[in-house]
Amino acid sequence: MTGLATTPSATTTAPQQRGPEPGPAARIAERIRAHAAGLPDVDAEKVIAQIEAGLWPGATETALRERAVEITSSSVASEPTYSKLAARLLAEHIAEETAGEGVTSFTTSIAASRDNGLLADDLVAFVEANAEALDAVVDDAADDRFEYFGLRTVYDRYLLRHPEHRTVLERPQYFMLRVACGLSQSVEEAAELYRLMSALAYLPSSPTLFNSGTRRAQLSSCFLLDSPKDELDSIYERYSQVARLSKYAGGIGIAWSRVRSRGSLIRGTNGHSNGIVPWLRTLDSSVAAVNQGGRRKGAACVYLATWHADIEEFLELRDNTGDVERRTHNLNLANWIPDEFMRRVEADAEWSLFDPKETPELVDLWGDEFDRAYRAAEAAGKARKTIPARELYGRMMRTLAQTGNGWMTFSDTANRTSNQTARKENVIHLSNLCTEILEVTNDSETAVCNLGSVNLAEHCTPEGFDFERLETTVRSAVKFLDRTIDLGFYPTAEAEKANRKWRPVGLGCMGLADVFFKLKLAFDSEEALALSTAIAERIALVAFETSTGLAEQLGAHPNFAETRAAEGVLHIDHYPNARITLTERWDAVRGRIAEHGLRNSLMIAIAPTATIASIAGCAECIEPVVSNVFKRETLSGEFLQVNRHLIAELKERGIWSEQVRQAIVVAEGSVQGIAEIPADLQERYRTAWELPQRALIDLAAARTPFIDQAQSLNLFQASPTIGKLSSMYRYAWQQGLKTTYYLRSRPATRINQTTVSAQPAAVAQPAELEVIPADIACSLENPESCEACQ
Amino acid sequence: MLLDPGMNLTLRPMKYPDFYDQYRAAIKNTWTVEEVDLASDLTDLAKFTPQEQHLIHRLVAFFATGDTIVANNLVLNLYQHVNSPEGRLYLSRQLFEEAVHVQFYLTLLDTYLPDPDERAKAFDAVNNIPSIKRKADFCFKWIDEVFDMQELKTGEDRRKFLLNLICFAACIEGLFFYGAFAYVYWLRSRGLLDGLATGTNWVFRDESCHMNFAFSVVDVVRQEEPELFDEQMRQQVTDMLEEAVEAELQFAEDLIGEGMPGMTVKDMKSYLEYAADQRLVRLGMPKKWGSENPFPFMALQDVQELTNFFERRPTAYQVAVEGKVDLDEEF
Repeated sequence: MTGLATTPSATTTAPQQRGPEPGPAARIAERIRAHAAGLPDVDAEKVIAQIEAGLWPGATETALRERAVEITSSSVASEPTYSKLAARLLAEHIAEETAGEGVTSFTTSIAASRDNGLLADDLVAFVEANAEALDAVVDDAADDRFEYFGLRTVYDRYLLRHPEHRTVLERPQYFMLRVACGLSQSVEEAAELYRLMSALAYLPSSPTLFNSGTRRAQLSSCFLLDSPKDELDSIYERYSQVARLSKYAGGIGIAWSRVRSRGSLIRGTNGHSNGIVPWLRTLDSSVAAVNQGGRRKGAACVYLATWHADIEEFLELRDNTGDVERRTHNLNLANWIPDEFMRRVEADAEWSLFDPKETPELVDLWGDEFDRAYRAAEAAGKARKTIPARELYGRMMRTLAQTGNGWMTFSDTANRTSNQTARKENVIHLSNLCTEILEVTNDSETAVCNLGSVNLAEHCTPEGFDFERLETTVRSAVKFLDRTIDLGFYPTAEAEKANRKWRPVGLGCMGLADVFFKLKLAFDSEEALALSTAIAERIALVAFETSTGLAEQLGAHPNFAETRAAEGVLHIDHYPNARITLTERWDAVRGRIAEHGLRNSLMIAIAPTATIASIAGCAECIEPVVSNVFKRETLSGEFLQVNRHLIAELKERGIWSEQVRQAIVVAEGSVQGIAEIPADLQERYRTAWELPQRALIDLAAARTPFIDQAQSLNLFQASPTIGKLSSMYRYAWQQGLKTTYYLRSRPATRINQTTVSAQPAAVAQPAELEVIPADIACSLENPESCEACQ
Repeated sequence: MLLDPGMNLTLRPMKYPDFYDQYRAAIKNTWTVEEVDLASDLTDLAKFTPQEQHLIHRLVAFFATGDTIVANNLVLNLYQHVNSPEGRLYLSRQLFEEAVHVQFYLTLLDTYLPDPDERAKAFDAVNNIPSIKRKADFCFKWIDEVFDMQELKTGEDRRKFLLNLICFAACIEGLFFYGAFAYVYWLRSRGLLDGLATGTNWVFRDESCHMNFAFSVVDVVRQEEPELFDEQMRQQVTDMLEEAVEAELQFAEDLIGEGMPGMTVKDMKSYLEYAADQRLVRLGMPKKWGSENPFPFMALQDVQELTNFFERRPTAYQVAVEGKVDLDEEF
């Protein structure tokens, strides 16, 4: 069965119970049978029986269909194919809903959105001028590529809705073509981007998906604001910028290192400052107040330099104990760490904290110059406080373990390897909300980045990875990312100014774990590392080729002369040990850059892709899977996800059974130690909690030469200790990572499982009570945390 | 033995290290009411149908008093008879958690019910809402059974104590609360009351642990005094669960009425019987009902959560963390 082939008229809800017509339950049963056709291992009758058992008075066909979607979508843990059935039912629901608004084709969808004032005039004109050709581009059958969670995400969050009825005005394929048209100058271009998206091979980031072609086409994902100056007006000006940027779905990174610390003298009033915490409380409230068009909550991350005298209070901002007046539950926190600090941690030396009012020069320095200025300030006795470096480092680790926050980002590595920092006045002061963007900021320039990600899983068959196809995708992706810079609406002048000068983009990837599963590679194997690095190299190379090609056509970005590339230094040149396999092509592109420059100062950034990976149905960015069965919680509900690769392999070997399924759920998605599952599968399907974190860092480090911005690298410790974390982050710094992202840990206790059978406790000696299932998982993963199991 | 009267103060050597581990695990999961964001719930509540309004009002009224009853029983009946210092450590911790739950539901009620009269009525639910009164009466009956006992001297005393313990674990936390959570997750599955669901996740996690602890006390007593677990006891437990299922079912009839999309009394009955069977099995007894869990949204609660922080605040972090800086550990 290909596609849905649902005609709206067949499914439009009839008025309740007219004469002898079949009732809504019978009609929905018929639809379920039709949709289940061709889906192996799906039992339509079982679903129908469940619906009939739960009938309530006045149940309409639409409500019953929703129930069917719910039942089928939660059956995926037993049989992943139910996801397809759920997706087909949901697609039918969407078709019905849009038909109710008179939408039956791409052009009628555009007309409906236009009539409701949602679309930009030039988009409408473009579509009207090319109506027939564009309608012919749409492939409705492509909806069948969605897994349920992907389609559900699109439906709940991305499709344009009627301002009053709140019904959707586009089907998923119309939405994708609308996004593509918003970034295109011809039907050919629109078709090119639409086909990539529709194949789920490449997706622009959420702001572009939300806003392309609309009246307020804010297409950028990330904004990086320099620290406010150490004065009242500047601080309030920043709040206002943050609010405006947040309103249009951007994620915010903001530094706070220029603002004076607690106890600093305020000349105007002869009082003393309360430090940065009260300001950040206000920022916290402001961020919470701005809800991004009802689609998601605003989010921001504050960066503080490790030498700032309020660093200790800063690290407590997310604690759930202590004075609520000194807590910020909506802000994320990140440490902006100079190498000097890490060296002093290694040497177990002292570390000095400064009030930026006394040492304003430190904020704009990095590398040797920072080291000199820092030591000079120490020698001049300007330190407000001196503490053992390891004491502070230990507190950073504690914050990571307790809150997942307090991300470790390394200021010297970031500046040393950036294309933007050739001139002394161009300094990177922070990363962004997800630690993958590193761009220069100053008081009048807010850095911006437009993101998109290649779905690597879509470029891979069991036979191997398709580098040719990857190249084609990357060429298109870079072209359209560059396009967003000119078409986007900028909520602030500071953002527009910076973006037009530097024209940075952030092309990333997702589905790396799927590639490894498809090719049967263990995440921490040498083959995986080689492939992952080769993919990163290819993406970077083609991005550079494309960007210099665009420069040849359209001109280099205005600030090109200020970049390292203008001096002949490319990002890979900072890494003498980079695994370069395409030497000739790099040489060639170097020549072209010397001649034409680059259209974009930065090109590669690996974003977390949480939402677009859901749409594409692949693993997030470069991450291993956290579990083989897990639920996703989003604003629109909770959804069950299973590792389809694992279940397919288990089925292939005839091992998949209800018993094995329950064993995996009881172990919270782990396959370790399940007797029925062979060793090679246990090896390859280790979860993020079970993989050595060293391997994740090594993969990231090998990839770094090809990432001219940064990567959102989560690290995982099921039960973190200060010792493990301090070794792990030191290693990450040593290996040259520019940034790290969340430290993920697990709850120490958990909910009792309701859907796996309870076990009677075996009778045992009091001192060695049999562990109940909940404890088995924990003892396997962290033997040291369970006294009873030692 | 665990139920011998007295005030054992000896933590080393530790006789029941499993109790101590449960205590430590609980400490790591400290949460506070301030972390729950109820703002979006108000938007949802404004859109509720009268039928849904009725359900949610009844539900919060139950929550408001349910945990208070549990906390009272803990202090008045359980703490004094579980004669193990590590066991009492756990119970002290549980008491704190019950207090947090009470505070959470208080905040919830204050937020959901702006009218002071309605609030007062909700807190007095045990007296003025029959379906809640019946559940409360069930609880009080089992509290009264042991209320006057100072020491567990005879086998009969211990049997009564065990029934109280099992009642609170299997019937109140393990059935009344499990039933109530199902309504919350049902609403959540329809994208409603995200704040309530977030707090409920944490309460659910705590309640699961409380129940596990109580069952592990039962396991120890069964090991130490197997003669207590005779046919009479099994019959009493079964009868008690039956009575609890019935009490919860009449509550369901009050809440759901003729049914709402995805939530009918028939399905709720099957879910409660399924949960009650689970409790029986955990106590080493055969299933009585053999019903299946009809609620797909409950299956979701069994697996690891993965939250996109744009969406909701991830809740999986541990609070206590140990060790000191060391640059040469394996990771």
